[in-house]
Amino acid sequence: MDSLIQLKNVSKHYGKFMALRYVNLDVAEGEVVSVIGPSGSGKSTLIRCINLLEHYDDSGKITVNGTVVRKGADLKNVRANVGMVFQNFNLFPHMTILENVKLAPMRVGEISTEAATKRALRLLDNVGISDQADKYPGQLSGGQQQRVAIARALAMKPKILLFDEPTSALDPEMVGEVLNVIRKLAGQGVTMIIVTHEMGFARQVSDRIVFMDAGQVVESGTPADIFDGAKEPRTLTFLKNVLEQ
Amino acid sequence: MHFQKLSLKFVLILTSLAAYLVPVSAASTGENALIVGANIGNVPWEFQDTAGELIGFEIDLVNEVAKRLDRAIEVINIPFNGLFSAVQSSRIDIAISSITITEQRLASVSFAQPYYDSDQSLTIRSDSSIQSINDLQDEVVAVDTGSTGDIWASENQQQYGFKEIRRYEGLAPAALDLQIGRVAGYISDIPAMQYYTKDKPELKVVERIDTGGSYSMMFRKDDELALSVNEIITNLKQEGFVNELHNKWFGVLAEETTSTAKVTAMPGVKAGLLLNFMDTFLNKAVFVETLPMLLLGLTTTLKLGLVSIVLGLFFGLLLALIRLYAPAIARVTAKIYINVFRSIPLLVLLIVIFYALPFVGISLSPFTAAATALIIVSSAYTAEIFRSGIEAIPKGQFEASQALGLSFVHMMKDVILPQATRIVIPSLTNNSINVIKDTALASVVAMPDLLKQATQAQAIAANPTPLIAAAGIYLLVLLPMVLAVSHLEKKYSKRNQ
Ligand SMILES: Nc1ncnc2c1ncn2[C@@H]1O[C@H](COP(=O)(O)OP(=O)(O)O)[C@@H](O)[C@H]1O
Ligand SMILES: [Mg+2]
Repeated sequence: MDSLIQLKNVSKHYGKFMALRYVNLDVAEGEVVSVIGPSGSGKSTLIRCINLLEHYDDSGKITVNGTVVRKGADLKNVRANVGMVFQNFNLFPHMTILENVKLAPMRVGEISTEAATKRALRLLDNVGISDQADKYPGQLSGGQQQRVAIARALAMKPKILLFDEPTSALDPEMVGEVLNVIRKLAGQGVTMIIVTHEMGFARQVSDRIVFMDAGQVVESGTPADIFDGAKEPRTLTFLKNVLEQ
Repeated sequence: MHFQKLSLKFVLILTSLAAYLVPVSAASTGENALIVGANIGNVPWEFQDTAGELIGFEIDLVNEVAKRLDRAIEVINIPFNGLFSAVQSSRIDIAISSITITEQRLASVSFAQPYYDSDQSLTIRSDSSIQSINDLQDEVVAVDTGSTGDIWASENQQQYGFKEIRRYEGLAPAALDLQIGRVAGYISDIPAMQYYTKDKPELKVVERIDTGGSYSMMFRKDDELALSVNEIITNLKQEGFVNELHNKWFGVLAEETTSTAKVTAMPGVKAGLLLNFMDTFLNKAVFVETLPMLLLGLTTTLKLGLVSIVLGLFFGLLLALIRLYAPAIARVTAKIYINVFRSIPLLVLLIVIFYALPFVGISLSPFTAAATALIIVSSAYTAEIFRSGIEAIPKGQFEASQALGLSFVHMMKDVILPQATRIVIPSLTNNSINVIKDTALASVVAMPDLLKQATQAQAIAANPTPLIAAAGIYLLVLLPMVLAVSHLEKKYSKRNQ
């Protein structure tokens, strides 16, 4: 089966420092992959290379849906296919919730205002906040904001969603509502790469777990493979530390 | 060759302009010195020789007067139209500058007996086809702000069909614009122009305009000093001293019938205003009479301010974007532009644009020159303001826009600039206030803005009320903006708490 996302020998230098080291990763259509690992291991860098928020070294190659991810005319197609959800939501504070979700379809997808509004309201309904459509992000709770951010990321009908620690900035009582939305999406067959520290959630929702350390993919496999039968000492140490907390 | 000659001329002109901008004062001596205000550069009455020494007919005369009063003397350079308020406020004791005695002025100041009978004159470029006042239909004429020439030209504008009267702050800039061709003729005192054109074949005095009028020294109204000086002048005339000065500066003795030779009465104190504070500074009659002039000036000021603010914002934003996002060369260029034009005083830039560019073939109208200078400087400031605003937007806003696939233009237009602008509105409003205030500098390039109209009005009426009124008008326009800035700043800081 063809991979929807393919990373071949991908490295990333910040000056002399290597944030990613020769990463190879294939994600099939409909697959849900969770990336775990200690802080500073390169998880964010990895997913940010996939939609080119970070430029990776020339030696490697990333393809998304058959398109090589590099600066240029094709980048538009890549970004149209890849939605992203950030740790800090990054909603546009000067726009209402509805306008946040409508913006990309109108500007990039160039669909009519009515069609964009209809789509946005449907998406907001899916994440359970259509009744807040005319409020501004500052008037919403963190959990609500993150659900809006997910709706916004879905507005371009992307094949792929990237999540970078979507619940790390949330108060504990709001984590659940966001994870539920992501779980629902996983069930609908959206391809996802999720960077997360929520181990229970990762185990439950993922087809595959990728463990990273020091810029490398150390080990990957099914949730059972990793959580119950990890072979690499670094993975075991990490899991032990996390579970102790 | 040609260029060398031009650049030499240009240097000479700039030096003479510099003399006009930088006050020169003769050595000050003693506490009891007579303070004399003079519009230095007004040949042959008071000007500087190549050594920088103050010389001239009136300088010689006032020196002799001081000697006989047994007082030292200090000369201060004040533009012609500033002399009136200077005597009225006692900042100077005597004003000299070939000031014509008029009925209107006598209501507010005093004069000693006259010592020179003058007329106005028309000066043109030697290669011009204009030969008399009658040829000035639909032409632009230059005058000195608030001078007798100004008064005459304003009264006769309709009759001769002058297209526009452009008002200058002295002989040098007016003569320069005549040479450049921005004005077709220059109406000014005949002795000054005859003396000035003596060694300048490119300019020619072609017509005497019979306005009459005699010059004398001017004093604060009812100042005792006027009487003493008047008496000394009587003596000096009887001794032939005054006519010797005429001989020295004009090469001939004046006729016996002129006020240079003949002792005359001191100009009568006109039944005029009692000069208390109100009548001097807040004179209702003068205010009512000059208000239409001021309002005309206000429209010019607002037009200039608005054009400069809007275009300054536009180019400032463009510069900020270039400075932040363009390829390296353009970025560096924008940075240099921003730094250079925030360092150059606006007045200097304005003078260079107005008086220097014609030498490379670019001759701008006063409005265009003033607007250009204001836009150049304002855009440099707004560029920095916009940059600070854009840089204050969190990185996540850029990343979210990019991740959504927005183009650079849409990212800026829909996401970044609306937020950045909101942050910098107080600073932008502040800058706009400065632009409007700076429009007053356009006076130097003969723009009839509010300040210019006010100085003209106060010179004609010899009363500072129009200046006070102009200050009030500036306040009315700018105070709401200042208050709006405070309000916005408060609101913004609250929101950020
Ligand atoms: N812009 C940057 N410049 C220099 N180093 C960076 C930059 N961004 C990330 N890094 C470094 O790269 C490494 C990986 O970072 P990151 O991908 O954010 O880790 P993680 O998301 O796994 O916590 C870290 O050591 C971090 O300090
Ligand atoms: Mg991270």
